[in-house]
Amino acid sequence: MRIQGDFYQLLKEQGYQFGASAVAGEGRDFMTATTILAFKYRDGVLVAGDRRATAGNMVMYDRTDKVLEIDRHSVMAIAGVPATAYEMVRVLEHSFKYYRRTQLQELSFEGKLRAVSKLLKDNVPAALAGTGAVVPVFAGYDFQQEAAKIYFYDILGAEFEGVEYAVSGSGSPTIRGILHYLNTWGGRPLAASTEEEAAIQALRLLTSAAEFDSATGGVNRETNLYPIIKVITQDGVRVMPNDQLKRLFESEVVRHV
Amino acid sequence: MYEEPYKWVEAVGNRRQYLDEQFKQGSPVVALVYDTGILLLTVSKGTPKLYEVYDRLALGGMGHPADLEKLRFSLLEMAHVEGFNRSPSDVTGGRMVKYGIAPVIKQAFEEIFKAPFIVKILLAELGQKAGKDSLLVINYDGTFEEGAQCAVLAASRPVERDMVAYLKQQASTPPSLEQACGMALRAWALGDRSQRKAGEDRSEQNPATTESPAAIDAASLYAHLRDAVAEKTVECALLDRNQPGSSKYRVLTPDELGRLLPKDIGVVFS
Repeated sequence: MRIQGDFYQLLKEQGYQFGASAVAGEGRDFMTATTILAFKYRDGVLVAGDRRATAGNMVMYDRTDKVLEIDRHSVMAIAGVPATAYEMVRVLEHSFKYYRRTQLQELSFEGKLRAVSKLLKDNVPAALAGTGAVVPVFAGYDFQQEAAKIYFYDILGAEFEGVEYAVSGSGSPTIRGILHYLNTWGGRPLAASTEEEAAIQALRLLTSAAEFDSATGGVNRETNLYPIIKVITQDGVRVMPNDQLKRLFESEVVRHV
Repeated sequence: MYEEPYKWVEAVGNRRQYLDEQFKQGSPVVALVYDTGILLLTVSKGTPKLYEVYDRLALGGMGHPADLEKLRFSLLEMAHVEGFNRSPSDVTGGRMVKYGIAPVIKQAFEEIFKAPFIVKILLAELGQKAGKDSLLVINYDGTFEEGAQCAVLAASRPVERDMVAYLKQQASTPPSLEQACGMALRAWALGDRSQRKAGEDRSEQNPATTESPAAIDAASLYAHLRDAVAEKTVECALLDRNQPGSSKYRVLTPDELGRLLPKDIGVVFS
């Protein structure tokens, strides 16, 4: 008997293929031109990402949403090849819904993590061929443990819990150090900050990443373009409105010299 | 035995009789468009009868639980594969019924050497805009019809007609959620009462009588409810246009039900 309520399995039975390599084994550099980050704050988890999509040294798009809602209580932030990442999100979204609707209960948080791992594992050929590497950060609210949690992955599908924070993408080395510093010697741990304080930190971190990484887009005030910031609490996923980000950016991030 | 055409017709006729008998004890299902969505209501004992099918699709069923599960799964499979491969907005109630389960139900009904589905299904679809909602009712023989404002499942056609007439007489414009809850519960009571009465009348060899909607008073319906709902659960689900996110289905909690259902019934709903 097949596993009950498994949408991915159902798709595969119908001939759907995910992560097949286009040119086998021609390992190239993994392109992850992006900065995404997630850290815990007082009420849950904040997940943020810049909005730039690049192809080589060309800026393709400046309004990308890399922090994608999968259901009411989980998001996946994506770094890597967008086509694969969006497809993953679509599969996950339908899988979680299908499970809930067939089994009449929510898929557990652990079950959701497994689903992400499974997709990444199946995607290895495409990742190694250089056509489909994705390195996501998954965050959501775990109702069994009554806590919001962060997980990050390698391209082979191994999952690691980000106890305090997690980062991914080409701009992430810059801010990983900052996050460590802030969390250790910043007066108080990130997990104690309020939502507004967390949002200010996220804006500052992404601005720092954009400073040192050409593939990470910064804030563009002329076109009113701010990063995407979403928070996950017990009540679900909430998107921080642009107006609020604008206000915080102007009062707390811009340096008036 | 069935090689002659008239015997086949006879066999199908027997099937109808057999199936009609199966629904006698069933609990009616009511679907009603209210100002910001669609409400589904039934009273169940143990197994639930209302289900989420897709982002904007909900299902109410009557009949054998195992048959209902089978059809529910094929609907779910169809809807999700379609929604994934095309887009969620291509998953419409009409397509699910016409090309999905209605032919399957019809075939099972007419294959007289196999067991038919003992099931009646109501599929509610929340339209992208108000006024575009649709309610589909599929009978055990695979025939289906579409309604706009309200639709019901009950043991027999006359009972269904009474319930729909009652609902239509209660409100001409879409009611509020609170009004809709009361209307749906009273329509359920009316249906349940008529079904029981029809059963008793038949045993006394009297033809079933229909009630004119204007002559029905709420107090007598509430009196019936007090008896009928004891040890059962009022099940109520919404396709709520104001619900954030893509899935619009939501089950009303006992707390919400307690607030929304009419206070003068005098029943504590669990």
